[in-house]
Amino acid sequence: MALNKPYNNRAWLGVLPVLLIVSFSAVIPLMTVVNYSVQDILDFNSRFYVGLDWYRETLQDPRFIEAFGRQVLFSLSVLAIEIPLGILVARGLPKSGAWTSFLLILLAVPLLIPWNVVGTIWQIYARSDIGLLGVGLNELGLAFNYTSNPTHAWLTLIAMDVWHWTSLVALLAFAGLTSVPPAYYQAAELDGASKWQVFRYVEMPRLGGVLVIAVLLRLMDSFMIYTEPFVLTGGGPGNATTFLSQYLATMAVGQFDLGPAAAFSVIYFLFILLFCWIFYNSVMVDDAVDDAVDDAVEDAVEYVADDNEVQHHD
Amino acid sequence: MANIILDELGFAYPGAPEPTLLPLSVEIKDSEAFALLGASGAGKTTLLNLLSGLLVPTTGRILFDGVDVSTRSGSQRNLAQVFQFPVLYESLTIADNLAFPLRARKAVNGFSAADIQSRVAKIAGELGIENLLKRKPKTLSLFQKQLVAIGRALMRPDVSVVLLDEPLTAVEPRTKWVLRQSLKRLQQELGVTMIYVTHDQTEALTFADRVAVMADGKILHTASPQEVYERPAHEFVGYFIGSPGMNFVAIDVAASTQMYTGNGVHESAQRLGFRPEWARLENASRQHTSSAVHWPGRVTHCQILGTQGGAPVGITAVLCDVGELKVRGPINAAAGSDVVVVVDRFVSFCDEQYLATHYTHSSSPDDLDDSANAGEE
Repeated sequence: MALNKPYNNRAWLGVLPVLLIVSFSAVIPLMTVVNYSVQDILDFNSRFYVGLDWYRETLQDPRFIEAFGRQVLFSLSVLAIEIPLGILVARGLPKSGAWTSFLLILLAVPLLIPWNVVGTIWQIYARSDIGLLGVGLNELGLAFNYTSNPTHAWLTLIAMDVWHWTSLVALLAFAGLTSVPPAYYQAAELDGASKWQVFRYVEMPRLGGVLVIAVLLRLMDSFMIYTEPFVLTGGGPGNATTFLSQYLATMAVGQFDLGPAAAFSVIYFLFILLFCWIFYNSVMVDDAVDDAVDDAVEDAVEYVADDNEVQHHD
Repeated sequence: MANIILDELGFAYPGAPEPTLLPLSVEIKDSEAFALLGASGAGKTTLLNLLSGLLVPTTGRILFDGVDVSTRSGSQRNLAQVFQFPVLYESLTIADNLAFPLRARKAVNGFSAADIQSRVAKIAGELGIENLLKRKPKTLSLFQKQLVAIGRALMRPDVSVVLLDEPLTAVEPRTKWVLRQSLKRLQQELGVTMIYVTHDQTEALTFADRVAVMADGKILHTASPQEVYERPAHEFVGYFIGSPGMNFVAIDVAASTQMYTGNGVHESAQRLGFRPEWARLENASRQHTSSAVHWPGRVTHCQILGTQGGAPVGITAVLCDVGELKVRGPINAAAGSDVVVVVDRFVSFCDEQYLATHYTHSSSPDDLDDSANAGEE
C-alpha cells in the first residue's frame, strides 16, 4: 500500500527540543560516566587515562561477581513468583460490579507507598522481637530471624518485593483480560475447551502484549533494586543480600572510587540493556505476542485490507 | 443434529418488572433451517442465550431429541454458535482452529488424528478455504474469518444444533449474499439443524425453511417464509415483513358495508391489510361497483425501484381518506394526480389476529396496469 506522502525535511527541526532535553538529561551524564570509567582519578587535578583497566578489574572482582549472581537470582525469583501470581489474581478478579473497583483500588495501594516506607514497614513487620510476622513465626516454633540468617533475609526480601509489585502485574494482566470479548469465552465453552485451553488459547494471546511490558518492567526494576533492601537488611547479614546497586553505592559514595564505580555503572547499564533486549527479541518471534502488540495497528488497517480482499473475491 | 422442542419456555431477569421472554412453545425439526426474526429488544437474543446455555430458563423446558437440557451447560448440549463478529483462536492456524472443537472433545467422540484431518479437509473444501488452512487469523479479511468461524461451527458431525447470531453483521454488504448462500448450501448438504437469529427479513426469508417472527418477548407467527408473507398471523408480522410493509385500513362497516360484506369479510373483522403488490392504481374517472375494494386518493410521491419492459416500476404512495396507502407496480401517475387504489386481494384481522384471505372480483378489462402484478405472483 503506497501512500504518496509529501516529504519535508524541515520536520527534523521539530525533533530538536527533544534531542536537547534527552542530551542534557541522559546522554551527557552517561557520557560523563563513560569518561570517568577510563580514568584513574586521584583528585581534581591529577587524573590518568587507564583505558579499559577498570572494566577488566570490575569483571574480575569476586565481590562484583557475587553481587551479580545474587542480583540475577533475586530478579528471576521475584519474576517467577510475581508474573504467575499476578495473572492468577487478575483472573480471580470479578470482571465488573461494585467489588471490581474496590479490589482494584486495594491492589493499587502497595504501588502508592514510597519505596523506603515499604522497606521500613517490612523491617518492622518481620522483626523477631516486635514484628507481627517475626513474632508470629517464632510463636509457631520457627526460629525466624532475618538479621542473622541469610535464608530468612532472602525470603523476607522476596516476600516484600512480591507484596510490593505483584499488584502491578495483576493490574496489567487484568487490563489484558478485560479486552477479551465475552463471545470468545462462550465460543470456547461451546467448543468444549478445558479451563487450561481457555487460558492458553483465549486469554494468553490477548495477555501477551501486557505481559511483555510487565516482565520488562519487573526485570528492570528488580535488577536495579536499591532502597528496599538497603532499609530492610542493609545488605546483610554479611553480604548475603548485597545487590549490585548497593555495592555500587558503597564504591562510589562511600569509598569515592570514581573510576571503578563508573566502569561498574556502565557494565551494570549494559547488562540491563542486554537482558531486556534478549527477552524482548526472544518473545517477539512468537506470533501470539506479536499479534497482541500489533492488534491496534491491525484493527486500523483491517477495513482497508477488507476492501482489497473483496475486490479479489469479485 | 437434533429435534428441538421449546416447551412453555420463558425467561425473566431477576428483579425485572416484566419478563423478557413470555412462555412460548415451538418445535424445530431435525435438519431444519429455522430463523428467529425480530427487531432489537424483541427477545431473540434472550432466546438464543437460553438455547446456548448462557441463561437458565425461569419457566418451561428445552428438549433436544426429547432430553431435557434446560439446566445443562453449553458444552454439555453439544451445540455450536457463530457470532456477530468472527470469533477465532488468534494464536492458532486456520486448520487448528477448525480442528479445535474435535480435539477438545477427543475423549468423548474418540476421533483419531486422521479423522480430524479428513474432516478439516472436507469442511474447508465445502467453504472453499483450503488455501487458508496454514495461515493465522490475523492475516485474513473479516469475510474470510467469518467463513472460518462458520466452518468451525460445522466441524462436529454430531452437533445437535448450530446457532447463528446475526452472522452477517460484520460482513460487507457486497459479500453478504455469498456467505448466505454458502451457509444455505452447507445446511442442506450436511443436514444440520440451524437456528438463525437476525433482524434482517431478507436474510431470514431467504435462508430459512421456517421463520418465527418475534416482538415484545413473544413469537407472533411461525411458518414458512411464503406463509408469513402472505398470511401474517398478526398485524405486526404484516407490518414488519416486506419493504414497505403491509397497508392497513380500519374497517368502517357503517360507511361501506357492501364493499366488505360483498367480499366475504366476517363481521368481527376490524382491519384489513394488503401488500403493496396486491393493489393497483386506476384512473379517478372510472366507475367501480360498490363491492370493489377501492379508495380514491391523491398521489403524494413515487419511489422508482427499477424498470420493467422499459417502463419505471416502484412504489406509489397515495393519500386516501383511510390513510396513506402504498402500491407497487408501474409508475404512471405523477405526484398530485387523482387516482383510485383498487385492491385485488387482502387479508382481514380481528384483534390484530389473522382472520381470512379475500380475493376481490373487481378486475376489469381497461385496468391501468395489467402487468403490475404479473411479476409478484
